[in-house]
Amino acid sequence: MDPLILVALVIALALFFDFTNGFHDTANAMATPIATGALRPKVAVAIAAVLNLVGAFLSTEVAKTISGGLIREGDGGVQITPVLILAGLIGAIVWNLVTWLLGLPSSSSHALFGGLIGAAVVGAGFAAIDGGVLISKILIPAVLAPITAGVVSYLATKLAYRLTRKRERDGFKRGQVFTSSLVSLAHGTNDAQKTMGVITLTLIAAGFQDVGSGPALWVISACALAIALGTYSGGWRIIRTMGRGITEVEPAQGFAAESATTATILASSHLGFALSTTQVASGSVIGTGIGRKGASVRWRTAGRIALGWLITIPAAGVIGALAALLAGTGTAGIVAVVVLALAAITAIFLWARRNRVDHRNLHQPEPGVFVRPKKRKARR
Amino acid sequence: MIDWLAFVSVFVAALVSACIAVTLFSLGLRFGDGEAAWRRPVSVMMFVLCAAAVLLGIYIIVGDHLMVLFAR
Repeated sequence: MDPLILVALVIALALFFDFTNGFHDTANAMATPIATGALRPKVAVAIAAVLNLVGAFLSTEVAKTISGGLIREGDGGVQITPVLILAGLIGAIVWNLVTWLLGLPSSSSHALFGGLIGAAVVGAGFAAIDGGVLISKILIPAVLAPITAGVVSYLATKLAYRLTRKRERDGFKRGQVFTSSLVSLAHGTNDAQKTMGVITLTLIAAGFQDVGSGPALWVISACALAIALGTYSGGWRIIRTMGRGITEVEPAQGFAAESATTATILASSHLGFALSTTQVASGSVIGTGIGRKGASVRWRTAGRIALGWLITIPAAGVIGALAALLAGTGTAGIVAVVVLALAAITAIFLWARRNRVDHRNLHQPEPGVFVRPKKRKARR
Repeated sequence: MIDWLAFVSVFVAALVSACIAVTLFSLGLRFGDGEAAWRRPVSVMMFVLCAAAVLLGIYIIVGDHLMVLFAR
């Protein structure tokens, strides 16, 4: 296949992955302010989109390896080709859309890693995967992220309820606007980078860009726009799960959970222990559900989310491996993989239309409902 | 192998900073609710301190990136 066409295909798929990353992760920042009525749904996703766009432009350092050392790349390891990247991206996109359809907040980074691992295994065998990195950078942090955020969120919730009286707690809605905005900004600085890295490495691998050079301005702009558009389109199914599915969130809980999410993400990215934004945000919501007296956590939903995390890498890996297997047969195989991927994406979107979830059918509470005194039973 | 010291640092830093932000905001709301004249300035001070914590968060996110951009 003409390298130019192949590169164009990879770039198009990478930008679509960035778009799915945006709408998959809107919930991390905006689920709780929407659930408490602190922000109207369309306003919330607009703020998140703008901050993701700004964040993507602020961060220009691209990871040297798209897999973060998970796949043994370079000399003596796997030669990551545009075909393998294409297969890995298809695995990540399809799995991101499946989890979106099910309303499960799963990590887009893990989906990308899974897709690339699957493609690399087909391309070079299991020796291509660094098991130590898989355990220390993916599996253990995946367990620690929700526990850390959950404990922080639990204690922050207890503090918020101990220090305030019921009638004062509507004020937390204003605070939620700021904490959720911080999560969106941090997300933009981190997540758009992955796609910039994928596109830049593809351009380098195909000989269209010098080795060791950073992302071009058009790559940064396209990635920023793709993640912002994805964020604005709003992953309403995941927003519904995070905002109402795990526990009923009140403004004080929302503020505590968002503070815990922000603090954990910032601390992790600046103290050298990377944690997934999605897993941190989900852990915070569970923690705040346990922290409020009278609130209950729907453990069945939490269990489904945990199961989603557990199978994200293998599932995206299987799809990536199948795509790499077919694409490895030549031009006809690459065309077949792209056609099949488009058919799968279309089918998922059509399936989603059967049970449409958008900003219009998200339940938002009436103003003042959380601080209204409970009605006492009339004495006879 | 996993860097447990880095993880403990993340946990402690996240716990302390989240609790400080929530405490300051909660106290701001608490002192803002009452008739006594001294309560309002104390409430404002709590919110200002909380805003300073948020600004520090923004600086942590964008500060390094801005320095890189302006140094070009």
